[in-house]
Amino acid sequence: MALHPILSSPPRRLAYFMAWVPLAGLLGVMAGLQGWTFAESLLVAVAFSAVGSLICLTSWFICKALPVREGRLFRPASAWAAAALVDGGIWTGAVAGLVALLRDVPRFAALPAKLPKALPILWVLAVLLYLASVGLNYAILATEQAREAERRQLESQLLAQEAELRALRAQLNPHFLFNALNSISALTSADPKKAREMCVLLSEFLRRSLAMGERSGIALKEELDLVRNYLAIEQIRFGTRLVLEWDVAEAALPAQLPPLLLQPLAENAIKHGISGLTEGGVVRITVKSSEEQRVDVAVENPFDPDQPAKKGLGLGLRQVRQRLQGRFGSRAAVETRVSEGHHKVLLSFPLEVP
Amino acid sequence: MSRTYRALVVDDEELARAVVKEHLASHPEVEVVGECANGFEAVKAVSDHQPDLLFLDIQMPKLDGFEVLELIDDPKARNRHPAVVFITAFDQHALKAFEAHAVDYVLKPFSEARFEEALAKAKAKADAGTPTVAHPAELSAKAREAWPLERIVVRDGAKVSLIPLAKLDYVQGADDYVELRSEGRSFLKQQTMASLESQLDPSRFLRIHRSVILQMDRLVRLEQLPSESWVAVLSDGTKLPVSKSGMARVKEFLGEAR
Repeated sequence: MALHPILSSPPRRLAYFMAWVPLAGLLGVMAGLQGWTFAESLLVAVAFSAVGSLICLTSWFICKALPVREGRLFRPASAWAAAALVDGGIWTGAVAGLVALLRDVPRFAALPAKLPKALPILWVLAVLLYLASVGLNYAILATEQAREAERRQLESQLLAQEAELRALRAQLNPHFLFNALNSISALTSADPKKAREMCVLLSEFLRRSLAMGERSGIALKEELDLVRNYLAIEQIRFGTRLVLEWDVAEAALPAQLPPLLLQPLAENAIKHGISGLTEGGVVRITVKSSEEQRVDVAVENPFDPDQPAKKGLGLGLRQVRQRLQGRFGSRAAVETRVSEGHHKVLLSFPLEVP
Repeated sequence: MSRTYRALVVDDEELARAVVKEHLASHPEVEVVGECANGFEAVKAVSDHQPDLLFLDIQMPKLDGFEVLELIDDPKARNRHPAVVFITAFDQHALKAFEAHAVDYVLKPFSEARFEEALAKAKAKADAGTPTVAHPAELSAKAREAWPLERIVVRDGAKVSLIPLAKLDYVQGADDYVELRSEGRSFLKQQTMASLESQLDPSRFLRIHRSVILQMDRLVRLEQLPSESWVAVLSDGTKLPVSKSGMARVKEFLGEAR
């Protein structure tokens, strides 16, 4: 049987027993007002509180065994009542027993005669305190359940994120792969050296993105290397139509972030931007780090405003936002700015190093 | 002496065009008369060069391969149509459409054998003078099934117009043609009403009459004529006939909108 949650941690244990001290004080004062001596009042108050503090702990196991469900209160309620009456009896009985044992001690000699008058009140008090402890136990149980539910929800969220990441990896845009392979096919006769270079770039890209998907967090530097790798492949495919501009602050490179977050943004810049433009354009990637220990990443590209929006853009961005906020919560922000033929995605997240 | 074939290669990637040209180079009977890097150029080049064979990529800037096909379709001169071979990276929906319309396609990257096979078929089609695709607009519609139409391409002589759906007021049908009305101008396109209707978003466009499709936010009021039939009055004052079944659809539409 699991230990009572109050007993499982020293600070909680201390707090619990301290809570009985004022009660003992109150009892002592009441006894004193009835004309009992100080020693008599002290003995009964301390004994009552000490026994009670132990007996009330036992109610935990009844509460655990009888969880409260809506519409089914009768059985647990009758059990609590019975337990309260019996345990209240044991409780006051123990106090009375102690008093009887001490009747030979001179200063407590008068006590056995005074106690019977107080016993019914002590018994009622014991029953009420016992019931209060039942209430407290259910409150603890409910909090525990809520915490457990929260933990489970977090866990399932994590699992869902992992599954999503696995799906992302599996889904490594087939269009990109087939087009890259077609470029290799074209280069094999025209420029064998370049064909080999492209094979190596493509293999490196695949190896890197597969390895990254296994991890929950990577350094920004690794992600940027993957993006460079990806764009080098597209550079061969698009030739002069694709111009790359990089502006990366060294200080931001060790920052941790979920993997495969920027690569899809670079892919969007190609798929929804450059590939729709006859003359192509510039893809600009900017990484800044601020004094407030934040990292700002921007991916910018031109696009053809007359071209109908291709499917998939919104989905990719939503995933990026979800995954970034899954990691950093409200400390991360994703913003999209679209103006006349220009598309810009801004990511902002805290600079955290492992 | 056997005939020669004039070929046009259309792909936005230079390397992709190069690999097609390389394969064609071993065929002395095929002469590459031009190559294009986008859809607009392709439409122009087809009318300038009148090629027999057209190697056409799908995802391109300006106009995609399906739109090119729609625009070069001239029903009065189907026998002069180039035989089309689509060359594309994988796209499931497009492939289904090709199969349904018996259009030949080659997947990137392709083997020499596969290319030869497609070339032989295309040459046979060019010899027979049969149109490559009987209904290009329908092929295009089917290939796009997965996402809603966002614009309509129309060609008038050498001029190509793109009509964004937001600017399309209404469509009137006549035989095999549709007349598209946008910003006070009129565009003719060879497509059936049923095919166009199926491409349009039903939450915006409604067939109010056998020969009328209306963008519903243009509707200002409905008037009943002495003959008991209804007319729709648009924001610019245009009046369009509403049929009995069309009226039922309008009522349903307005009921849902409310």
